[in-house]
Amino acid sequence: MRSRQSILEIFSTFLCFEDDLATRWIVDGRLRRSIQGCLERSSENAVSPRFWALYWYQIWQTESLSNSRSPRVKISANHLAAYLQEVCYWSAQKLAADLAKKQLISDFFQIAIIKLDRVMKGFNVDRGIEMKSYASLAFTNAIKDTLRQRQEVEICTDWALLHKVSQKRSIESLQQLGLNPETISIYILAWQCFKTIYAPTNGQGLRKLDKPDLPTLNAIADLFNSERGTIINAPTHCDGETIFQWLTSFGAAVRSFLYPTLVSASQPKSASDDTEFLDDFEITFQASLLTQTIDREDEIDRDNQRSDLQKILLRALVKFNVESQRLLQMYYGQGLTQKEIASQLETKQYTVSRRLTNVREALLTALCTWSQSTLHKTLDANVMSDMSITIEEWLKVHYSHPDLPVEH
Amino acid sequence: MNTLLTSSMIALPQFHLPIADNSQTEFWQQSKSAYSSAGSRWQAALNQACLDGLLPWLQAERDPQAQAWTKPANRPSFWDVVNGSAIDLNGSRLVLIPTTAIDFAELRVPQEWIDLPSWAGDYYLSIYVNLDDEEIQVLGYTTHQQLKQQGLYDPIDRSYSYDSDDLIPDLNVLWLSRQLCPSQVLRSDIAPLPQMRLEQAENLLIRLGNTNQLRPRLAVPFAFWGALMEHSGWRQQLYRHRMGLPEQWSMSKWFQSEISNLGQQLGWDMITMEPALVLARGESNPTTKILLRQLTIAGQPYELRILPKGDNLWRFELHSTSTNKIPRGFKLRLLTEDLLPFANNEDIALTETDRLYLDVQVSPDDGLVWETEPQPERFDQEILRF
Repeated sequence: MRSRQSILEIFSTFLCFEDDLATRWIVDGRLRRSIQGCLERSSENAVSPRFWALYWYQIWQTESLSNSRSPRVKISANHLAAYLQEVCYWSAQKLAADLAKKQLISDFFQIAIIKLDRVMKGFNVDRGIEMKSYASLAFTNAIKDTLRQRQEVEICTDWALLHKVSQKRSIESLQQLGLNPETISIYILAWQCFKTIYAPTNGQGLRKLDKPDLPTLNAIADLFNSERGTIINAPTHCDGETIFQWLTSFGAAVRSFLYPTLVSASQPKSASDDTEFLDDFEITFQASLLTQTIDREDEIDRDNQRSDLQKILLRALVKFNVESQRLLQMYYGQGLTQKEIASQLETKQYTVSRRLTNVREALLTALCTWSQSTLHKTLDANVMSDMSITIEEWLKVHYSHPDLPVEH
Repeated sequence: MNTLLTSSMIALPQFHLPIADNSQTEFWQQSKSAYSSAGSRWQAALNQACLDGLLPWLQAERDPQAQAWTKPANRPSFWDVVNGSAIDLNGSRLVLIPTTAIDFAELRVPQEWIDLPSWAGDYYLSIYVNLDDEEIQVLGYTTHQQLKQQGLYDPIDRSYSYDSDDLIPDLNVLWLSRQLCPSQVLRSDIAPLPQMRLEQAENLLIRLGNTNQLRPRLAVPFAFWGALMEHSGWRQQLYRHRMGLPEQWSMSKWFQSEISNLGQQLGWDMITMEPALVLARGESNPTTKILLRQLTIAGQPYELRILPKGDNLWRFELHSTSTNKIPRGFKLRLLTEDLLPFANNEDIALTETDRLYLDVQVSPDDGLVWETEPQPERFDQEILRF
């Protein structure tokens, strides 16, 4: 993969995969016109890509608060998607290489890039982590999380899956099937009746849950019939056979929603597949915003806070005993999973889990107490949660987590 | 005013806890006929797993006194109809909501845990239960206030849905915020439910007590259902009706033969008093059997005694079983089944005293509810049937 050089390229091109190899960059004409327009209007010379990324991020953030469907949200999201192509690629490549089973990099790449919206929502300039480092951790996490779900989907029957999906996602899976809201509410009621009547009864877990027998299906139908008055345009009386058909298609819908079959990844993909959005988009460039972004970053760089944070956490780190140090090194440094650490230390995963929690608590306490007493910062649970995430990001960067891409 | 929470895609280390060995085996053995449907028994298994996974850890790491709000004997009457359980710790209540959904997309809290004053908690934990691997995973938490303000209420299943991205993923934040910002607002105001008349309750108990009514919590307006659930005695009655069990709280049966299983499990005991002692107290009735129940009130041990005095006259007594007397201001109170006061239904300690007592004349089949002020720990109202 050739790495991109110019600002123009970095913000307007997407990776193209052929036979699971990232072979070339494909230009998105509209994005190119957009960034070109900005470059022409900008008086700042030699602004680094990092600042342009923050510039687009600011636009994305401000605009999505007022209207998440506006063209400016889409164009800024797509510029960011273009910017983060390499990061995403290396996260995908690294994970695919780590796994024993042959995995498609292009598949991983897509899993991650379609989560860009959520990834950007979780980014916070003030936490002091660079966008690329953050995105790399977030993409890796998105892929891992999808893999965890897929693994579970693979070993579960459809009947178990119906117990293993949230109401929120099950509605989404039905929407993806193209069903209208009325049909969806029929399915959801049938599904709730199913869960009321049919569940494992042997204490042997859920994964292998078998098809319900006819009396059970009839009982589900009876319950459905007695409650169908609660939904708009209630269907006529239904029987066990109808319930079986509904639940079968529901189960299949959930399966393909949680584990979609691979679509061809040869076409460049951006965060949004909407190609209409730029046709009548006028290029606007906010020079002042770019200047502000640069100034703000400079300020943050100069700001002692980040090095203070570093100091506080380092001071807390050295106080840990050798065991805890080793644990942190294994988890954050070598990127081992809790299970792997447990087997190396010949202990249980829960012990590792608990000890990691305790170590992180000590760090959080140190940071919170410091910002309360020294910075006189007003703390609340949300501020503290943000600190907990800051610590996590810091630990991963500090121990140079292998999830972070090596710049190639 | 809370600052806005930025959710992050950065995963914190997952927090797994094992489900204690044998606890599930025990649950499945003992619950064969304790639930009205396979779904509710499964729901109960998940809730049991939450308690078994979380409690030992909380007791070891946070508060040795942490305990489940409900006693084991009462749990089926909750879990047969509503998902969720609660742990009381250091004066706060954690509501545990189990889920088997692998997508971790939402926390779905049944309305009862939010809108019933006696059920509501301070913190709500989303817990993924994996019985195949015998473990639970804590996904994050939020507060009553957040759920009430930002949760989406779904009238179809009467629950509040809360986006998992908005949960605080790190439980350490819960403990630390209690310590560093003790004045944070955790709860929204809860409007009390209108009081329900006995006749209404009896009708509802018959209607919802039918096992064909598989989802009783959705079958009547929430105000009615809520009033029934809010009153522990009625909640127990509903469960008894649904399971087709005989009356568990019949005082005449208890005195004639023995205390019901449920009564025993909830701590009732019967002793035979030495006649000499009875005489010494100047009481004329020769009956020597006394009902006893140990209570803990404000950290001190007490004993509630019930003595039949013949001719439908009953005595209720509260004694301190420590060396301390009953402090001034403590009250022993009796209420009708629908929680209404009546004449001479209360004894109050005007000064420190050895005992509080009430004599009450009942008609056959009357129901009485006892309570104390302050409330005993893990208090669950009981309707004693005379």
